[in-house]
Amino acid sequence: MTAVSRPARTRRLRVPGILIALVLAAVLPPTLGAAVLSDSNALLASAACAFAIAAISLNMLMGYAGQISLGQFAFVGVGAFTTGIVTSPEQLRLPWLAGLAASVVVGGLIAFLVGLPALRLRGLYLAVVTVSVAYVGWLSLFRVEAIGGGSAGKVTPNPYIGDEPITSDTGFLAIAAVLLILVWQVDVNLTRSRLGRAFQAVKADEQVAASFGIDVTRYKLLAFTISGAVAGIAGSIIGTAYGTVTASTFDYARSLLLVVIVVIGGLGSRWGVVSAAIFATLLPNTLVWIFGPGIRGLDLVINAALLMYTLAQHPGGFAGAIEHFVEKRRQRKGGAAPLPPTRPNLPALTRPVGMPAIPKTRAGTAVLTATGVSVRFGGLQAVDSASLRVDRGTIVGLMGPNGAGKTTMFNAITGALTPDTGRIELLGVDVSALPTHRRTALGMSRTFQLIGLAKGQSVYENLLIAQHLAAPYGVLSALTTIGPSRFYERDVRARADEVIDGLGFGRYRDTQVARLSHGQQRIVEIGCALVTSPELVMLDEPSAGMSPAAAEDLAATLRDMRDVLGRTILLIEHNVPLVLDVSDELYVMDAGRVIANGEPVEVVTRPEVVTAYLGVAPSREEARV
Amino acid sequence: MTTPLLEVRDITAGFGATTVLHGVSFDVPQGSIAGIFGLNGAGKSVTMKVLGGSVPARSGSVHFRGQDITKLSPEKRVAMGMGHVPQGRQVFPGLTVEENLRLGAYTLRRKDKKRYGPALNGVFDRFPILAQRRGQLAGTMSGGQQASLAVGRALINEPDLILVDEPSAGLSPVATLELDEVLQAVAHTGVTMVLVEQNIAFGLSLVDTAHLMQTGTVVHSGPVGELDDQTLATHLGIGRVLQAAAGSALAARQAPPVKKGSRARRPA
Amino acid sequence: MGQVLVLGLISGGIYALFALGVVMVHRGTGVLTFANGEVGTAGLFLAALLVDGWTIPVPFIDNPTLPALPWALGALAAVAFAALLGCLFEVLVVRRMGVSDPVAVAVATVGLALFLLASELQIFGESPKELAAPVTGGPTIFGVIVTPTQIAGLLLAIALGFGLQAVLRRTDFGLGILAAAQDPAAVRLVGVPLSRISLTIWGAGAALAAIAALLVEPTVGILYPGYASELYVVGLAAAVIGGLNSLPGAVVGGCVLGIAQSAATRYLSDLHLPGLHFVVVLVVLLVVMLGRQLLPELIKRMDTAPSRAAEVSA
Repeated sequence: MTAVSRPARTRRLRVPGILIALVLAAVLPPTLGAAVLSDSNALLASAACAFAIAAISLNMLMGYAGQISLGQFAFVGVGAFTTGIVTSPEQLRLPWLAGLAASVVVGGLIAFLVGLPALRLRGLYLAVVTVSVAYVGWLSLFRVEAIGGGSAGKVTPNPYIGDEPITSDTGFLAIAAVLLILVWQVDVNLTRSRLGRAFQAVKADEQVAASFGIDVTRYKLLAFTISGAVAGIAGSIIGTAYGTVTASTFDYARSLLLVVIVVIGGLGSRWGVVSAAIFATLLPNTLVWIFGPGIRGLDLVINAALLMYTLAQHPGGFAGAIEHFVEKRRQRKGGAAPLPPTRPNLPALTRPVGMPAIPKTRAGTAVLTATGVSVRFGGLQAVDSASLRVDRGTIVGLMGPNGAGKTTMFNAITGALTPDTGRIELLGVDVSALPTHRRTALGMSRTFQLIGLAKGQSVYENLLIAQHLAAPYGVLSALTTIGPSRFYERDVRARADEVIDGLGFGRYRDTQVARLSHGQQRIVEIGCALVTSPELVMLDEPSAGMSPAAAEDLAATLRDMRDVLGRTILLIEHNVPLVLDVSDELYVMDAGRVIANGEPVEVVTRPEVVTAYLGVAPSREEARV
Repeated sequence: MTTPLLEVRDITAGFGATTVLHGVSFDVPQGSIAGIFGLNGAGKSVTMKVLGGSVPARSGSVHFRGQDITKLSPEKRVAMGMGHVPQGRQVFPGLTVEENLRLGAYTLRRKDKKRYGPALNGVFDRFPILAQRRGQLAGTMSGGQQASLAVGRALINEPDLILVDEPSAGLSPVATLELDEVLQAVAHTGVTMVLVEQNIAFGLSLVDTAHLMQTGTVVHSGPVGELDDQTLATHLGIGRVLQAAAGSALAARQAPPVKKGSRARRPA
Repeated sequence: MGQVLVLGLISGGIYALFALGVVMVHRGTGVLTFANGEVGTAGLFLAALLVDGWTIPVPFIDNPTLPALPWALGALAAVAFAALLGCLFEVLVVRRMGVSDPVAVAVATVGLALFLLASELQIFGESPKELAAPVTGGPTIFGVIVTPTQIAGLLLAIALGFGLQAVLRRTDFGLGILAAAQDPAAVRLVGVPLSRISLTIWGAGAALAAIAALLVEPTVGILYPGYASELYVVGLAAAVIGGLNSLPGAVVGGCVLGIAQSAATRYLSDLHLPGLHFVVVLVVLLVVMLGRQLLPELIKRMDTAPSRAAEVSA
């Protein structure tokens, strides 16, 4: 179908497209006459390119990976001064390209170092650290004589290509434009790879990301490193095009302006942030051209006011506002698409080639055993030496009133939290000490009470995120699309489409998950949990928020998962008829303890279960005991 | 016929893509105690939040004392005579008992400062423990004492209606007993009350009218006296197997352990 | 040694004042504001204009010139203006953002900082302005002349850090502010208007920043766009070091940073490192934050290790 052939067609078009763009970028600026492109305009255009690259770098961090940085221009500065030091005749005297490469490496390295504490810090704390980094760069590091060249500034010599030095501003513009196109392409590759998808998942919810097998720590650090490396490129361009840069070229206000630009453009939108960056660079001169020189400086005021307006009115930024508009028009024209069925046809998938095979087990042997698990939160014993066992090819229900500790038990099994005591074995392997993403790799998957999906991404992208472990290729292959990434991407994309067809979500393939109804999101989530053919599927209240009819369909779906696909299921459920209907075995928890287990219908008639569920009227005798 | 104190008509509400309430309707007459029961996820707490104003209704209306309050902010509703005992008994842990009560009387003190003194004494009379511990930080008190404080904080503002959201959650049996006494005492003041309770047997012992909820709608409304085990089991969605158990919960209601005094104050 | 301490406490008092504003806004609304430094600077500029005798640029008529006002009145206007900016930001931006995440609001405050900075540059240019000190002289402690504004700064910080809570408890509205910091949802359910509390907090945080800026300015005697932001960043760090929610913690954090800076200036001057002040802030900030994060984990690991071992042997 079209969905399958589409990527192939775009690939055929894309390769020449970028080549043509690169040739044009390299050739056009120097050949255009001075009438079209004066030297001062060329310099401005170079600055716009550098700013656009810096905006892309910050967008990688804030827009994709959700890590705030208020000090991004410090990394740009690092790039500029690195190029200066490496190419300066007084210092290292290396060729310009070596300077550029060094900027990338040093920018990435310093961002990595800043990112290290960031692993432990969230949101606002990270903002404070990065603001301090901006100040340290501006007022300390870049003012060190050997780095920033003192009050005279750092002079970057003209770059050479062959023996011919490039001296004109139009020549610098050609370099800047070529680099912008390359960075743009790298960013495109990033978002289409497992790397970009992992960033998106980390941004959406770290616990959900880990449940898809994503090593959250590693990808946060990668986001910092790649973003710093790209910022280094922007710095290298600024150093080269300006010729001389001082510490104040990279002041605190620049870092703030970059944040402003990225938010106005729309976090996560490549063309949004690039156009906002170009707009912000060209705005001062345009204003002067229209209103006269008295207006200079007002551009910052305008940008800052725009940011506050954007955040108050259109949190998605400029790009988000346009998308919203387009979406509305499409809805008005075509009307609402028909709803996908709530009774999906689950596709039988084999284990992906990229993942280790699951050890063969026979029916009746334990897939999961949890022994003596205890979790304490402050003064509350949330789980109190609870044990359970899930046999291969069965559906095991886990029920209990609110606050009984079911979800905490779930989290202890998946590794989202470390129990104080207890042992978890998955397929005979002791996983007690393993983080979530390693347990996922062994053949465990789960769904969440509040839908564990990256809600800002499409159905298709979510199915790709869920196959993170099925496409084990490296960072370089991801950024260049050379090497193993092509093979693995083809495999995971085909599976994603297969699942979408099976679920009956063809029309919703590219719809943002957040726009689907709750019941539809639940089905996509189950699809994600099944796409890597895990042995054990853990479902946390799948029927929550469903209508009774949809819950009946869900029962049939669960049985299909067991009988047709041969999956093993651990199910937390509040819907008593549903859990009695589908479970082979039932565990009941109350106040952190497993109070009963066995044949479902028999278990729920036991007095202790009844008391747990319906409560007791207070009586003085009992209270005294 | 007089209009009920609280009229809830066809409320829908939810979060994001999720719709939790699909058309909830019920009335609460002056002086009665209404209970909302259901299993987890039935929409009890969201219903309470819609009544209190902290979750907006997507459609439908809420009338309080004959006025449409659907779009009013929570604080305006409190000023109109609505009181809250929030879920988990949320007292302000860093404030003392007396400060909690003073804050509870916020709108009363805005209207007439002179009424605060007697109101405070009234609460202290009803809950002597609060008078003893007036200078203690609320966060350092036991669960049962916090429950008394939460109820006292709601009563001190002299409300016409009190919304009580899952008061027994997380309480020990002893504390539940204390709570029961507190709520029984409040019931006898003639104030109108809406109670949400997870512990169904406990809740049934307190209320006059039961509204049973399942998947976001009220599936049964009626006086507690007319409930039978089958109605309870069916409408709570707990399945036939738990039917017998529902019967025993009802039996507990029919022989209330600590209920004394008549409810003659209620309009016949 | 004594000198290091005195110099450290002088600047520490100012950092503490900024940090108190940070903590106040964070406790009351859950947001970190990055704008209040620049809000303080904006107030200073207004004070400088008023104290100089402001020629108000009005089109079409002769620009009227106000008489030069005494420092105290200029300062009062500065504080009022800053509070107004804080309140306007709350009404026009924060309130409209609804229930969005605190990081988004923090980014909006970045916009406000840049907006004010750019406006100041536009109106006043980059060259510094002067604002004369209200009083001069002062006692000499360990060879350091300590001016009255510096003493006032430190005392005010200590008074607010350890007394603000008690003052707030005296009024119903103040009690509401304290309660809102503990549980914003429950505050609305007892009938306290949360929106007015939020407005008050934003206004008060901004006013506090202006007071801090006014008290530190006479030490240098000049002001320029971005002036107070440089100090405010240290205040942010001090608030984080103090735990972000604790008023006394903010005061301690400010003093720790002030003393660390003066010690570094005294003992590390041989490094000839420009901007040593900020390097010190970043280092202390990282050490404290990571220490606070890692210590409990280490302790837990030490606790559980023997018990695990015991289990195995049992």
